[in-house]
Amino acid sequence: MSFLLKIQPVFAAVVLAALVGCANDPAPTEQLKLTEQAVAQATAVGATDEEPDLVTAQTKLTQARADMAEKSYKDARMQAEQAELDARLAEARVLTQKSDAQVAQVNTRLERLRKQLGAGQ
Amino acid sequence: MNTVARSLSLGLLLASAGLAGCAGHQSSEQALQGAVADYQQVREDTNVLRSAPKDVIRAGELLGRAERLSSYIGSADDVSHYAYLSSRYSAIAREHSKLLLNQEKLARLELERQRLQLALREAKLAGAQQQGKWAEDQVISLSTQQNERGLVMTLGDMLFDTGRAELKSSANRTVLKVVQFLQFNPKRVVRIEGYTDSTGDAQENLTLSKDRAQSVADVLSDLGIEEDRIQVEGYGDQYPVDVNTSESGRAQNRRVEIVFSDDKGHLSAPR
Repeated sequence: MSFLLKIQPVFAAVVLAALVGCANDPAPTEQLKLTEQAVAQATAVGATDEEPDLVTAQTKLTQARADMAEKSYKDARMQAEQAELDARLAEARVLTQKSDAQVAQVNTRLERLRKQLGAGQ
Repeated sequence: MNTVARSLSLGLLLASAGLAGCAGHQSSEQALQGAVADYQQVREDTNVLRSAPKDVIRAGELLGRAERLSSYIGSADDVSHYAYLSSRYSAIAREHSKLLLNQEKLARLELERQRLQLALREAKLAGAQQQGKWAEDQVISLSTQQNERGLVMTLGDMLFDTGRAELKSSANRTVLKVVQFLQFNPKRVVRIEGYTDSTGDAQENLTLSKDRAQSVADVLSDLGIEEDRIQVEGYGDQYPVDVNTSESGRAQNRRVEIVFSDDKGHLSAPR
């Protein structure tokens, strides 16, 4: 009897810990919103399906929604967090590519100007 | 026998569980090492630090979290997760840095472009001023007159030896000036007209006048003026500008005239 009495608090503690563990993983609603915004932002600056990181982001966002529906909140949060950064990286890559193209264009113009100046002298 | 089989299967189960655990640990360890390498790279790059400090800080925080978790058993998934996030922040920081460097480069290139455009405008202006100077000071001063045939420049008798068609070297300066004028005025064309005095055979005079005009045209063409911009005419002893009864008058009549078109390429009709 005394053995059982000793066991019960331990059991209760374990159950409590499990409950706390559950409470630590609420539905990541805010994170999903953030991720959706990041994906929308990447698309807005011109990222397409040709940008692998955007595809990854979209796949993970889809997975995160599915995990939400199954109440696997921890998985949903992790997928959504990764998807957010994937989308932000895709956005940054697109912006860099665009500025690379701008640099190339200005260089072409400069080359033409130098030629004209050389020919004129 | 039964006990042996059971203990064997139990052993297998444990071994496979251990392997699986090991595999998970290995992949999280790999992710962690990758994240450490990525973070090192951005942290040591002053350009990245300067242009994307917040991203570098986030990468460092997430890496620290992954490293702390890696000391706990059964945390492989979390370690991989935070290592992944850290690596992404490092990559984002690198991209932001590239973008900023490009923007700075674009600003410099734009300044260079403005400088070159200014230089080109100045060069063209100088060219135009030189053109005006040519038209006023040089070409006109070389016994050039503006009449109903257009701008007419006269090359005198002294530029040719008696009876010869070849232009003497003393004409080089004059010819070079004509070439330069035509190069500055790429739309202008010329007609080169040869004249003689009335001494001697009219047919021979006609041939000589045409040959002299042709030799001037050849020099212009040799100096780079396109042949289709040059017409050639020989008029013999027609159209004298002075009397043929005096030596000085005859010398005036022996001449080659260069008729310039206007700046749009309109040339008066031949005589």
